Amino acid sequence: MHNINFTKYKYFTLSFSFLAIVFGFVVTFAKYGGFAHSLDFNGGLRTVVELPADKTRNDLEGYFQSKKIEAVVILLEKEKNIYQLDIGLGSLETIEALYKEIPEDSRESSTSAIDRFVQLLRYEYKLPKEKVLSADQVGAVVGGELTEVGITLLLTTLAIILLYLSIRSQFKFALASSIALVHDILMTLALIGFLQIKPSVPIIAALLTLLGYSINDKIVVFDRIRENAHGKDNLALSNIINVSITQTLGRTINTSFTTMISVVAIIVGGAVELYDFAFVLLFGVIVGTYSSIYIAAPISEIYDQLRKKRFA
Amino acid sequence: MQSYRLLILPFLILAVSFTILYPNFAYRSLKIVVREDVYALPEADQKVLVNALFERWAKDYGKASGWTIEPQDTLPPKENPFYIVKGRFITSAKINQISQENQSLVSESKNKLEPTWIEETIRGGKSLSIKLGLDLQGGMRVVLKGDFDDYTSKLKDLYAKELTELKLTLNNPAAKPEDKEKAKSRLTEIESSFDLSPMRKIVELEKAKMIIDNRLTTQNLTEPQVRIQKEQDAIEVSLPGVSNSAAILEILQNTETVEYRLEEPTPFVYKGQIADSERRMMDLGKRENTDIYLFQELVKNKAGKKAQDAFLEGLEKKYNIPKDFKVYAMWARGNSAKSALLPRSFVVLERKIALSGNDMTNAQPSYNSNSYGWMVSFTLTPNGAEKFFDLTSQNRGRNLAIVWGDKVISNPVINDPIAGGRAEISGSFSEQEAIRLANVISEGALPIPLSVLEMRFIGPTLGIESIEVGVKAVAIGFFLVMVYMIFYYRLGGFIADLSLLVNIIILAALLTLMDFTLTLPGIAGIILTAGMAVDANVIIYERIREEIEEGRALSIAVTRGFENAFWTIMDANVTTLIAGILMIRLGNGPIKGFAITLCWGIVTTLFTSLFLSRLFMELTVNRIGIHHLNLRPFFFGKKETTNA
Repeated sequence: MHNINFTKYKYFTLSFSFLAIVFGFVVTFAKYGGFAHSLDFNGGLRTVVELPADKTRNDLEGYFQSKKIEAVVILLEKEKNIYQLDIGLGSLETIEALYKEIPEDSRESSTSAIDRFVQLLRYEYKLPKEKVLSADQVGAVVGGELTEVGITLLLTTLAIILLYLSIRSQFKFALASSIALVHDILMTLALIGFLQIKPSVPIIAALLTLLGYSINDKIVVFDRIRENAHGKDNLALSNIINVSITQTLGRTINTSFTTMISVVAIIVGGAVELYDFAFVLLFGVIVGTYSSIYIAAPISEIYDQLRKKRFA
Repeated sequence: MQSYRLLILPFLILAVSFTILYPNFAYRSLKIVVREDVYALPEADQKVLVNALFERWAKDYGKASGWTIEPQDTLPPKENPFYIVKGRFITSAKINQISQENQSLVSESKNKLEPTWIEETIRGGKSLSIKLGLDLQGGMRVVLKGDFDDYTSKLKDLYAKELTELKLTLNNPAAKPEDKEKAKSRLTEIESSFDLSPMRKIVELEKAKMIIDNRLTTQNLTEPQVRIQKEQDAIEVSLPGVSNSAAILEILQNTETVEYRLEEPTPFVYKGQIADSERRMMDLGKRENTDIYLFQELVKNKAGKKAQDAFLEGLEKKYNIPKDFKVYAMWARGNSAKSALLPRSFVVLERKIALSGNDMTNAQPSYNSNSYGWMVSFTLTPNGAEKFFDLTSQNRGRNLAIVWGDKVISNPVINDPIAGGRAEISGSFSEQEAIRLANVISEGALPIPLSVLEMRFIGPTLGIESIEVGVKAVAIGFFLVMVYMIFYYRLGGFIADLSLLVNIIILAALLTLMDFTLTLPGIAGIILTAGMAVDANVIIYERIREEIEEGRALSIAVTRGFENAFWTIMDANVTTLIAGILMIRLGNGPIKGFAITLCWGIVTTLFTSLFLSRLFMELTVNRIGIHHLNLRPFFFGKKETTNA
């Protein structure tokens, strides 16, 4: 098999990644003012209603879309047509306005946002009171502390991996893997912000999964580099890297492909609420594979060159 | 690794795994217990309740589930007051649903999923089926409100004596001005502690949250979430798939405390009064009229704490006990160690708490072989040790009662001052009670009593639709991956698939054994495990193929392939394992669920890919005598030439 010159494009790929991340975050914060709001992270309104048999998920979603209310519709029970509706805090004003449009005589005066939302629903779908099974103003489940825990976790994990890999192989590989991991997380976060995907428990799961997948991927590539570099200190690292990546390319493609099969199955399968999870995971797998080859390896090479220069 | 005999190991592990997983697929029976009071209702009312149950039943479980219920359309006989439901895949969410929908008919706390023979044999009846998290199947959410009125009244008890002393000093014209000044500032300090600012309330709720967290961990619930709702002074507890909510609630709300109180000084005037009147009753042959008998009946009928408190307060009035003292019951067992713990006599203790549970820590139950009974030893905090020493040196000869909840469990005489900060409580405890007492001391009691503000069953994060589609998608994905592996690596792919299946089965069995609650992130962890397991095999086969391409004999190529891949697989998995362990230790809720499956998944992956795959592969090559191992995909693969 011919060796492919992967490191040739290193400055291009490194700057591409850097710009993509910056672009993603700039759009997230400048255009949208941050990540999307979600019930899991920011709290919001949650109701469970039993709809008439002829109403479907599409009706509900169409209604919310036409009224510009951000809602997540979850089918809880098929036979009884029971839905859970999650409304983010961002739509409170819209609900307020719509509530005021209800004719005076068919609305009860209420002060809380959740009451108003329930009245709106009841009016729209002509629901008797007992069909509204529950209505809550809910707090964030995973927000707040999770961000803090998440950052601590990521930093500690990186530190330990850095240590383990430094002992098992060389510092430069450990450093490069860690940077590439951060790259993967940032890249995915940039995408989540750019597309305004709602952070949720499944999204956290996807982030964690891609972290695990990415570590795995990087180590396989680096192990081969280390093995090939053994006793060849005088050989240019870029050459060794190219040989190693080529050697592991079969494996990389196979593994990415098999992982993607499962993920794509979820997307194609049409599990609406799992769509974001699968989408983020799919992106993560691609980014993880890309960064093992085009980010991690070049960084170890650059580090090596810098060090050689200093001692030369 | 070339012996057939080694095959016993995987088969053994598989057999054990299947045994553990059996209850998940077994045909089982569920007892739905009918409330006792239903039988006292008029027949028409009974009929309404029964009809409601069976109407819902026909609608929800009738045909599709394949479940049966006995007896049908009628109330079960009074001597066997339960319905028996039989079927597969009876989930705790469904059990909850049935009892919640028929609250006036079903006594929820007594519902029981009968253990299968396997659970009976290896777990002593404890469940072995995989539990699903709130996000998958829904569960129970309880909001507990802090009762701050009760809290302040308890606080007032604690400071009662000091307060009267301080007031005395203030009103005493002979007292020195600086003493008065000191008393005044202390008084305001104490009184300010009765005034609960929002900040104080949060602090108390935080303490309560911690204790609830601890109590829940001992209940083997994997992902309970405990949160404070600041707006309502409440604590919200989410319990995934909890079926026996009544028992858990009781554990959560338990505000039992442990405290020391001095008994009235000798000669026990008040206690004597009570004892005299009791004796008179006995002499008249009216044992059933004695207070202690009445109190025992109250306890036996489970009248609840309120009724017991009222009874004791009644006694205080009856015997004109002064305000500084309080009547308690001394609890003990009868003559045999197996008889019930019941109130046996009354004692009169000082209202003032001499030493509270906050002064004690680190309690351990232990068996006292001298008295053949259980006792609890504990350490006192430095402050507590000082107080205890003062207490015991100033009150020699008096009785110091240990009050657990509202039971006096031990009432020893103080012989000598006790210094050193260690003490023990002996009473007539069973092992369970000793453990409970030790827990109350170690964890501390709930600082505030909690009452149930609302209790609700909540829906899953994903609807049933998504779960059904998701499971199908994952299954299809799995199947496609397996087909792809066979397509790409042929025989090798088949072996990889085999070890992947074994991997997932062992993992499921392990998680079941550990009472793990499966959540959505948990499933993500399993998917990652599968991905890494496939990857491990891919790495191995690529290595073997390289060896073959270099012209090595097949058996050597296989051995070398595994050896070369070993450290790569180890490194990749160990690093992920480290990250996983960190997530378990630092993370909460969703992160933890993911990390636990991931960590155990890595363990099973290492076993299946490094041992099992290798065993299968080497047996195939060396024993079955496959001479040509083609690890190239069908159709595209170039011809391999291997030297046998």
